[in-house]
Amino acid sequence: MASLTANAPVEPSGPRPKRIGPGRYGVYAFLIISALFFLIPLYVMIVTSLKPMDEIRMGNLFALPGSPSFDAWIKAWSQACTGLNCNGIHVGMLNSIKILIPSVILSIAVGSVTGYALSFWRPKGANILFAILLLGAFIPYQVFLYPLVRILSMVSLYNSIPGVVFVHTIFGLPLMTLLFRNFYAGIPIDLFKAARVDGGGFWAIFLRLMLPLSTPIIVVAAILQITGIWNDFLFGLIFAGRENFPMTVQLNNVVNSSFGEKEYNVNMAATILTALVPLFVYFVSGRWFVRGIASGAVKG
Amino acid sequence: MKHFTKALLGAAAVVALMAGPSVAAEKAEVIHWWTSGGESAAVKVFADQFNAAGGEWVDAAIAGGEAARAAGINRIVGGNPPTAMQFNTGKQFEDLVAQGLLGNLDEVAKADGWDKFLSPVLVKAVSRDGHYFAVPVNIHSNNWLWYNTALLEANQIEPPKTWDELFAAMDKLKAAGVIPMAQSGDAWTQVLLFNDVLLGVGGRDLYLKVYGDNNVEAVKSPEFAKVVETFGKLREYGDPGQQGRQWNQATGLVVSGKAGFNFMGDWAKGEVIAAGLTPGKEVGCVPGIGNQVYWIGGDVFVFPKTDNADAQKAQALLAHTMLTPETQVAFNAKKGSVPVRGDVDTSKLDACAQAGLKLLGTENGSVPGFDFLQTPDKIGSIQDVIGQFWTTPSQAPADLQAKFADIIATE
Amino acid sequence: MKPRFLRFWMAQVALAPAWLIVIFAYIGTILWTIQISFTSSKVFPVSNYVGFSQYTRLFGSERWIISVQNLAIFGILFIVGCLILGFLLAVFLDQRIRAESVFRTIFLYPYALSFIVTGLVWQWTLNPTLGIQQTVRNWGWESFTFDWLSRGDRAIYVIALAGMWQASGLVMAILLAGLRGVDGELWKAAKVDGIPTWRVYLHIVIPILTPMFVTATVLLATAVVKVYDLVVALTNGGPGISTEVPAKFVIEYLFQRQNLGLATAASTVMMITVLCVLAPWLYVQYFRQPRSAH
Repeated sequence: MASLTANAPVEPSGPRPKRIGPGRYGVYAFLIISALFFLIPLYVMIVTSLKPMDEIRMGNLFALPGSPSFDAWIKAWSQACTGLNCNGIHVGMLNSIKILIPSVILSIAVGSVTGYALSFWRPKGANILFAILLLGAFIPYQVFLYPLVRILSMVSLYNSIPGVVFVHTIFGLPLMTLLFRNFYAGIPIDLFKAARVDGGGFWAIFLRLMLPLSTPIIVVAAILQITGIWNDFLFGLIFAGRENFPMTVQLNNVVNSSFGEKEYNVNMAATILTALVPLFVYFVSGRWFVRGIASGAVKG
Repeated sequence: MKHFTKALLGAAAVVALMAGPSVAAEKAEVIHWWTSGGESAAVKVFADQFNAAGGEWVDAAIAGGEAARAAGINRIVGGNPPTAMQFNTGKQFEDLVAQGLLGNLDEVAKADGWDKFLSPVLVKAVSRDGHYFAVPVNIHSNNWLWYNTALLEANQIEPPKTWDELFAAMDKLKAAGVIPMAQSGDAWTQVLLFNDVLLGVGGRDLYLKVYGDNNVEAVKSPEFAKVVETFGKLREYGDPGQQGRQWNQATGLVVSGKAGFNFMGDWAKGEVIAAGLTPGKEVGCVPGIGNQVYWIGGDVFVFPKTDNADAQKAQALLAHTMLTPETQVAFNAKKGSVPVRGDVDTSKLDACAQAGLKLLGTENGSVPGFDFLQTPDKIGSIQDVIGQFWTTPSQAPADLQAKFADIIATE
Repeated sequence: MKPRFLRFWMAQVALAPAWLIVIFAYIGTILWTIQISFTSSKVFPVSNYVGFSQYTRLFGSERWIISVQNLAIFGILFIVGCLILGFLLAVFLDQRIRAESVFRTIFLYPYALSFIVTGLVWQWTLNPTLGIQQTVRNWGWESFTFDWLSRGDRAIYVIALAGMWQASGLVMAILLAGLRGVDGELWKAAKVDGIPTWRVYLHIVIPILTPMFVTATVLLATAVVKVYDLVVALTNGGPGISTEVPAKFVIEYLFQRQNLGLATAASTVMMITVLCVLAPWLYVQYFRQPRSAH
């Protein structure tokens, strides 16, 4: 049966449209209607972020702002207060990036190697390892907090960036492993057997054959991890230490202040600003969906 | 400028008091969850006073009490405790005391004479087995009825003094097509309302029997049944938009004249002031409707145990600074609460606060808030049954009474 | 032949980090959790053993029972809904359309936004006095009613809808990655044989995408078990306790309600339930044959 093969197409692979006909309009109609459904909340957020508070209190949720103003955006970025520090949410951005990059790379690296070893090599105990990992993926993170704080302070990683990177790697492992293991399950075993016959070792096959084939799944894994780690609040708060608080801690401070007036326009602006990094990644990742398969194609 | 001079004087007093003042600044990292505008201004008073006294305030604000407490407790577990952290007055920090993780404040308390100016309720709240473990910083009172003066006048309603008058007034408002009672959808505000009814209809003794003594018979009594019935009747005066509405939005409905009444603590004043109005004028207040008794709450700071001598010095200095008369007056004016010291000048507070202070001053004019008396666990269970009852119009009062009795009966 | 263990020694070395994490972070924590669930721990773990009393209390708790029921309703709607919507989006996106990356970003963006605030937007939109209901009434349809968010018996469906809005894009991305791997020759062959497109999708493409569907389902299932932010942001468990979920139960008893014993008992029950549900599937999917797909 046709499956994921080495010479997969470069372009979208759906059936080639015959002509611009009613079917084409149907496709676009479906996509546009779905897009509208997905965009409603974003519309409300943007519109709200451009309104002054009086208009938000009185006005219609869906109405366009009377006199749009970017004050809320400026305030969210550089003036909103976290306790006594009024520097906006941009303060944590660098910390977020410092946490994000090593965490994403490390978790994908460990996850892909684990998935590869589990899928093709299946050494003794592999099934048990995989079963525990899968089970672990279903436990609420909060349960891990106390023991992990103890473990990390024992190895002097508590309250540091390496500590929080380590935590992200731990919690990323089940899903990363699963993702890569299932992806490799779709690759014909014959490909692997042929490479073995050619004398390929564990790492040679992984680096030269499997990794280039894995681009689409790496994109998916990266989307998952970038979003998860970027939006993480709990681990950053507990494990990173006050000097290294990620952006989400500031976002939470701006948004979740329990008493006093809520500045909804600032909240909306702060949320969109915080999401810009993952959004940018999503937008460019599309290219990799397509190009990755092209460059990674193993001819023959 | 005057404020600055005052601060300097305060600093001088502290330096004189502290044995061997050190030249180097004593760093104090403080975890708290006061992040809104008014709250930040209040924290700034602490920070300024502490810095002026020779310390160095390192601010660790984390929005949301739960997140802040989780961060603080985990740092204690991880062996890297903050210098001080905030809790609500009550049983929240009891386990920390039991585990021997909190510093004992007896020395500072003795030097400053805490027992001379703290009310017995507060002394009990911050000490365990005769030792002080926390610094109380403010008193909030929870049972206030706020109303829109203009709206009441337009409907020829006198500010109610009894529950019967309140219900009559709300019937009039309902007929006039406005929301009689603005209520939030948050569970804690439903519990606040219930406790207001318990104290206002059931009275001080019933309240203390139920929460203080865990007396199941009191919960099964006809008096308690009347409380539950009154609370159940109140369900008819809310509006369908309350789910998802926060307390400040509910107060806002009264401020803007869309609703007549709102039950909320004294912090609601902040909303009134933010709208450019005066508490006691455009938005009126009735303290402790029915029985003229307050139930009070507030915030405390605890100081995790440490071996570091510098940190211990910083802790002592901070504990002292938070309770000086200057700090207390300035802090509470910003926070909207009442100072914990009975011996400070309160003449500058607004009309509602004055009315409240008068009540606080009378004997039996206040009871400890139910979080002084009950564990967070039990409070959570009570919140569940009250929230369920409030949002299920068909649920019979007797049903709530029975469930309530079950919770009070548990250990 | 060398024994399997020696033959694959490099694979074992490569798995060492995973083993370390599993042993210390997962097994260690799970055992700790089970142990604490038999104690009367409050804020801090203590070893005052109280037998099964935390479990007795757990199953006597109305809130827990409601939480479990809600999880079942939410889980089924959310997983099925996301899979269907995500698959349709992926298929339609794969039709050589214009502005593909714009559409893809639109479908994926909800996943990037923190739910702390998007939850608030949904809350406004669905609030009867602020959002859709009021807007439609202002247009003149006075009797229009959409108040599910304030109705205890309906609010959980609204939460599932918001969840679909957030997670369908991710399913779309996973399946799109799979579709891009499908051999283009397949379509030529199907065309030659005159097989209708929908039948090719149903009978050939979906089976090819099975590993991707499995991945997506497991991802969604883990999100279901851990669902917390969504509920907190949209209803905070209300009206009353009608939209409570197990993860929220655990977290609240861990921090706010300070009952570590009960919280760990609830987590233990969650783990055992997950294990029971997973075990047969795991066995069939992964352990019965070495590589079942081939």
